[in-house]
Amino acid sequence: MSIYKRIKDFFANNFPLFILYFVSFNSFEGIKAIEDLLIFSFSLQMIIIYFYVLKYPESLGYGYIFLAGIIHDVVQGTILGATSLSYLILCFFTSYIRNVTLRFKMTTEWFAFIPPLFFANLIFFIIVNNFSNISFYYIELLRNSFFTFLFFPIFYYLFNLLQKRATLD
Amino acid sequence: MADSRDDVIIAIRSALLKKGAKQKFSLFFLIILSILIITLDKSTYKITTSTRAILNDFVYQITLVASGPGKFIKYIVLSTKTHFEIYDENKDLKNKILFLKKTKINSSFLKTENRILKNSLDLSNSKSSEFDKIISAKVTNDYQSPFLKSLLLSKGKKDGIMKGMPVFSGNYLLGVIIETNYLSSRVLLITDLNSKIPVLIEKSGTNAILSGSGKKLNLVLDYLPDNFELDSDLIIFTSGKGGFLEPGIAVAQTYSNKNNKIIVKSLADPSQASIVYVGKPYTQQESE
Repeated sequence: MSIYKRIKDFFANNFPLFILYFVSFNSFEGIKAIEDLLIFSFSLQMIIIYFYVLKYPESLGYGYIFLAGIIHDVVQGTILGATSLSYLILCFFTSYIRNVTLRFKMTTEWFAFIPPLFFANLIFFIIVNNFSNISFYYIELLRNSFFTFLFFPIFYYLFNLLQKRATLD
Repeated sequence: MADSRDDVIIAIRSALLKKGAKQKFSLFFLIILSILIITLDKSTYKITTSTRAILNDFVYQITLVASGPGKFIKYIVLSTKTHFEIYDENKDLKNKILFLKKTKINSSFLKTENRILKNSLDLSNSKSSEFDKIISAKVTNDYQSPFLKSLLLSKGKKDGIMKGMPVFSGNYLLGVIIETNYLSSRVLLITDLNSKIPVLIEKSGTNAILSGSGKKLNLVLDYLPDNFELDSDLIIFTSGKGGFLEPGIAVAQTYSNKNNKIIVKSLADPSQASIVYVGKPYTQQESE
């Protein structure tokens, strides 16, 4: 096997991990370059975690997700462990959905994203509200959750496409 | 009924405890670990604060590299935008130069008059107009997230930066240091919802609290007297009350928007700040 093929395989197999850490280090919150579009702030991390834990659990370990949460907390300046716990709650609900679902369809997966997203953000909100002095607009968190839910199908097709290409290669 | 309940319990147990093919840790173990970290982070033990500072420094250094592509895209967008706006800006700047020249003449006259009057009243010059800007630092990252508006600086405790120090962009107040690590520090911007600064409004001399709105450069004036009406084009300065910041630092200006509503905007623009100055922490004895 050539070195090029090995490197390509390595990137293809660990693609979700790279994206997850890249957005965590960058504290990605949406389209920031255009200030007026900050309204579209959404959590790409949550979409990645939900998609991969649901569809390709072998691609994204819980340990990596936990670490991504810690990085996000450090970068954001929020209480350490809050985002990790929120991501793990998302993983728990997603894993539960995966265990009880027999037939997977895009629409069912999309709507099944609501409870995990709600509980993950609820946990984050409770921790930040009770264990730190940071105040923020609750509507922003709601808006972030809404757009995360809304943009899920776009990333669903994108990640599915990438994953299929990676498997074919 | 009992069977379906058993199924739910099995599914929950499987989700929490099953490790799966490539999983090294179970969800249950990681959830417990997260709770432990939250508890430790809340505590004020020296070991936990120093561990967090090391972790912060390490992550910030990686962030610096990881945010490169994003910064490049932002730079391209901003340069394109600036290129199209440059003609109008030039025209506007010419007018501003003319206005500033007039103001400078007036100001030098008032300065001289003020010095003469102070001398005749035997008052010492309590404060210089230039603030003590002791450390210049590079902005390594800016986080304009919906939750926290902050900047990361390339200097920390090693360079003498301490919590509570004011941070300037040009001559305007940008924020206050809220977190210090050995190699880096974090500035809470005045536009953040958590920022509260005691201020004084030009002309009327009214005291108020300037709070961040969390939205772009907009700020909010709280605790104004009843029936107080704000005019446009007024500069808002720090009042120095509470011994938190030096009095007389220009923070914001009032503007009249399209609907003739008066809005308060920060004079310093965090998105344009690349090099900032960290000032000496204010102690009231200095001004006395």
